[in-house]
Amino acid sequence: MAFTNLAIALSDIQITYRSDHEILNVLKGVSLFVPQGEIFGVIGRSGTGKSTLLRCLNGLETPDSGEILIHNKSLLKATHQERCKILSKVGTVFQEFNLLSRRTVLQNIALPLEFAGASADEITVKSTEIAALVGLSDKHSAYPSQLSGGQSQRVAIARALASNVSLLLCDEFTSSLDPETTIEILSLLQDLNRRLGITIVLVTHDMSVISEICNHVCVLDSGKVVEIGPTETILLNPQHKVTHSLVSHLFAKDLPRVIHETLRNLPLENDHAVLRLTFSSNATFQPTIAAIIQTFGIPINILTGNTGHIREMTFGSLIVTLPINTTLNNGHALLEDILAYFQMRHIAVEVLGFIPPL
Amino acid sequence: MTSLIIQSSLETLLMIGASAILSVLIGIPLAILLWLTSPLGLAPHPYLRHMLDGFINAIRSIPYIILVILLMPMTRFVVGSSIGTLAAIIPLSLAGSLLVTRMVKDVFFNIDRGLIEVGLAMGASKRQIITKILLHEAMPSIVAGVTTVLINLVGFSAMAGAVGGGGLGDLAIRYGYQRYDFTLMVIIVVILIILVQAIQMTGDFISHTLRK
Repeated sequence: MAFTNLAIALSDIQITYRSDHEILNVLKGVSLFVPQGEIFGVIGRSGTGKSTLLRCLNGLETPDSGEILIHNKSLLKATHQERCKILSKVGTVFQEFNLLSRRTVLQNIALPLEFAGASADEITVKSTEIAALVGLSDKHSAYPSQLSGGQSQRVAIARALASNVSLLLCDEFTSSLDPETTIEILSLLQDLNRRLGITIVLVTHDMSVISEICNHVCVLDSGKVVEIGPTETILLNPQHKVTHSLVSHLFAKDLPRVIHETLRNLPLENDHAVLRLTFSSNATFQPTIAAIIQTFGIPINILTGNTGHIREMTFGSLIVTLPINTTLNNGHALLEDILAYFQMRHIAVEVLGFIPPL
Repeated sequence: MTSLIIQSSLETLLMIGASAILSVLIGIPLAILLWLTSPLGLAPHPYLRHMLDGFINAIRSIPYIILVILLMPMTRFVVGSSIGTLAAIIPLSLAGSLLVTRMVKDVFFNIDRGLIEVGLAMGASKRQIITKILLHEAMPSIVAGVTTVLINLVGFSAMAGAVGGGGLGDLAIRYGYQRYDFTLMVIIVVILIILVQAIQMTGDFISHTLRK
C-alpha cells in the first residue's frame, strides 16, 4: 500500500462474543487508518465496542476476522516473538490507572523496561527521565496510595511511554479525573505528541476530550464506524444521529425549552424556520447576517447563542429564526438560497425545524 | 519434666517449620497452576484445572486424623517409618500444601485483572507476569494466608501424637490426659497459645510491612 507512515491500519475487524444465551456482535467490520503523529479520537456511547477496538490494538483482544497492522506489521500474523516486539512499542493508559501498589512511582514506570530486559543502570536513567517528562520528578519514591488521581494518571502515562513507544493508547482515561485535572492531562498528552511525535489513540464518550486535542475522530455506534474525519468537520457538521447527540451538549446548543416544545418537523403556514448556525473563528459572522438581511430582504431573529472551542480554535453557535413561509414553493426556494449563502461563507447551517410566529 | 517439655517443643517447632516450608513450596506453585488454567487465566485448560481442583477438594474433605492413617504406606516409603516426628511431617505437609493452595488461589483471583492486563499489553511473558505482577502484588495477602495455615498446622501437629509423632500435643495427651497431670496440660496449653500468638504477630507484622 502507498501508506508508509501509518501507525495503525485496521481492516474489517469483527469480534463476536458467544455466551450460552446470546451471540453478541461487538465489532461488525471496523476499518480505519491512523497516520503517524496523529491524535486520533474514538468516540461512542457506552457499549458500542470502542474499548474492545482499543484492546485489539494492544493484543488484549483477538478479532475473529480482519487485519491489524501496527507500524505496517501484522499483529495477528506475527509469531510470538514478533508480536512481543510490536507490542513493546505500544503503550496503554488504562481507565483505572492499574498501578502496582507495592512499587514506587519510579518502579512502576520501570516495569516495561524490566520486561524488556534492560540493565539496572538503563532502567534508572530511563525511568528518571520519563518521570521528569511527565512532571513527577519530586515523587520518585512515593507509592500509588500516596498519589492524587492526576498524579496516578501521570505515572500511568509515564509507564506506558517508558519503553520508547511510538503509539499510545488511552482508554476512557479521563473518566476518573476531575475536569481541571483532565485539562492538565490532556495538555500533557498534546505536549508529548508534539515533542516526541507519538501517535495517540484515545477512546472516550466525552466529546469535550475530543474537541480539546484530537486531529481526527471516529464515531462508533453498535460496533460500526458511523462517521470518521477531521475533528472540526465532524463536530461542526455532524451527519449521523449519534454524532449529533454527542456533539449537542458540547456547545450547549440545545434550544430553550419553550421553543423546543413548539418545534415541528413539517412547517405549517406562516411558520418560521429555525436554523442553527455554527461558525469558526475564521468566518466572520456579523457581516453575513447583515448581508443576508440586505440581500434577501428577510429579517433574522437571534434566539440564543453560545461559544465553544475545538483545540485552539473558538467556535460559536447561534440559533436564529427566519420568517419564511416554506409551505409555498418560492418560500422553500428562498430558504435553500439562504442555506447556500451561509455555506458559501463557511458557516455550518442546519434546519432544526419550524415554529409558529412568536 | 522440663527437659521433656523442651524436647517436645523442639519437636513441634521442627514439624511445623519443615511442613510449613514444604507447604509453601508445593502449595504456591499449585495455586499458580490453578490460576493459570482457569478460564480467565493466561493458559486456560479446563480439564487440568477441574482435575486439580477435584483432587484438592477430595483430599481436603478427609479429616486430618484419617489422612494421617491413609498416608501411612506412603510415609513409610518416603521416611522409612510411619511413626515419629519426621513421619508426621508428611501428612502435615500435604494438608498444609492444600490449605496454602486454597488460600493463595483466592488471593490470586482477587488481584485486579487490570494489573495482569498491564503486563499482557506490554508483551510480557507469562513468567514475567507471574513473578513481577501476580506474586509481587499478592505477597502481603500470601503472607497473611500462610500465617493462617501455620496456625492450622499447630493444631494438626497435636494430632501427630496419635501416631507417635511426638511434640507438645503428644505430650499433652500422654501426660496431661492419660496420666491426668493437670499442671503439665496447662503449661503446654500456655506454650501453644504463646506459639500461635507469636506466629500471628510475626505474620501480621510482615504482611503489614509488605503492604504499601
